[in-house]
Amino acid sequence: MDIFLSRLFAGMTSGSIYVLIALALVVVFRSSTTINFAQGEFALFTAYVAWWLTERGLNIWVAIVPVVILGFIMGALAERFLIRPVRKRDETAILIVALGLFTGLNGLAGWIWGSDDKVFPTMFPSSEGTYFSVFGARLHYDALFVWLFTAATVIGLVLLFKKTSLGLEMRAVATNPESAALCGIKVGRILTLSWGLSAAIGSLAGVMLVPTIPPGQLNLASMFHVLIFASAAALLGGLDSIKGAVVGGLIMGVGLAMINGYVSFINGSFSLTFALILIVGVLTIKPTGLYGTRRLERV
Amino acid sequence: MSQSPLLEVRGLRAGYGQINVLQDIDLEVGAGEVVVVLGANGAGKSTLMSAISGLIPHTGEIHVDGKPVGNPRPDEMLKHGISLVPQGRGTLTALDVKDNLRVGGTNLGSKKQVEEEMDRWFTIFPRLAERRDQVAGTLSGGEQQMLAIARALMSKPRMLLCDEISLGLAPLIIQGLFETLGKVSAESGTALLLVEQNAELALDIASRVYLLEVGAVASSGTAASFRDNNNIRQAYLGY
Repeated sequence: MDIFLSRLFAGMTSGSIYVLIALALVVVFRSSTTINFAQGEFALFTAYVAWWLTERGLNIWVAIVPVVILGFIMGALAERFLIRPVRKRDETAILIVALGLFTGLNGLAGWIWGSDDKVFPTMFPSSEGTYFSVFGARLHYDALFVWLFTAATVIGLVLLFKKTSLGLEMRAVATNPESAALCGIKVGRILTLSWGLSAAIGSLAGVMLVPTIPPGQLNLASMFHVLIFASAAALLGGLDSIKGAVVGGLIMGVGLAMINGYVSFINGSFSLTFALILIVGVLTIKPTGLYGTRRLERV
Repeated sequence: MSQSPLLEVRGLRAGYGQINVLQDIDLEVGAGEVVVVLGANGAGKSTLMSAISGLIPHTGEIHVDGKPVGNPRPDEMLKHGISLVPQGRGTLTALDVKDNLRVGGTNLGSKKQVEEEMDRWFTIFPRLAERRDQVAGTLSGGEQQMLAIARALMSKPRMLLCDEISLGLAPLIIQGLFETLGKVSAESGTALLLVEQNAELALDIASRVYLLEVGAVASSGTAASFRDNNNIRQAYLGY
């Protein structure tokens, strides 16, 4: 029982991070019908900035504010000046720009901060004794905080989409950009905001993520696996569904924790294979995912 | 009172990519006037609507109230008071009926105004009121067309462009839609520019007609003169 719960908790924590990155992918997909493959590297770059700020003596809780704002600005600028000029052409062009951003941001982070591992500050107390005991299993405070942050982000997004006029405009653009424009919506502005919002969510995820992946250090490859798991999660849930991102992310996180824990002949490196099998499986069997309405036309 | 017509189009050319569909179109619509553009499939009617509403770029001149507007985006054209009901209705399928109408009211000043305007359209189209919480993609074709018209009118435009609103609908429903449009136009002074393949009902509410052939205006005149012209009646009215 206690081992099962430990695995469940660990799965929910990594799952929460997949939820956040999947949400970031969903926000962009809803408005642009593209998967932003550079999402992980946006988060990587801003995580480096967070590390750099804390090295300068800033508390990580203070640093997270400029970092999330920087994420928003980077996403918005990328849409306005890199994606928009090519979006009229076709989706392949957008994909190529996103891949360019992917390698460009990774290279930039390496050039500025070097390729050695950075010891990343934890946001939450994480030492001996900072846990609740639940049926003999340890529920660490830091895991709980990650869950709460993720839940708050999900609730915030749902309220934004359902209750605000900006959210209504975003949903309209997601459904039919041409009609939205005819109704007086500035579609370009909505796309810029969507990319900014998406990158801001990614930045938040990045800062919370690094301490949760062993050994809790930041390096240039930190985001590769996470992006693949989160893409699989978003695809499983349905690329245009917030609910799908939440369900998909948690299934990925808990599912991988259970498989790695209970199926003894499988070691950790199988996780990536599992994610890729899932991606291919969803694309062949149910391209709209569990809750989505639109399918991925091209990858 | 202004001397210039509400909408004036001079030497308009537009098309898709390398292909020019419209050749030097001249056209005018006065404030509150109801004008119909007739033409066969492929004459360039939809292209004309897309160009005026800002969906596709054009060369030549579009004047609103006598002032050139350049090459505006659709949201900018709406600010000039010109709204389009696009061909195929452009339903925001994933949104419910109320949200579709709210989106149509994006340009209105306050939420209160949006709700008032929405109530007005629910009175004019009781069918939409019955289905106010339904997802728009599940409405019937006729209901979606009502929704498209109501949505385009939510912004209180001075002129409504309608691109083939009769397409794919039952004759009785088409008749109802045209009657409503005629009434709305007469009551609120909204000008109408209708593009139609099925001319009969459109001619009933229109005062003037432009006939489009292969991307150019072949002739124009009053609706009455078009009804009296045997050749045109046979070609476009079918009797």
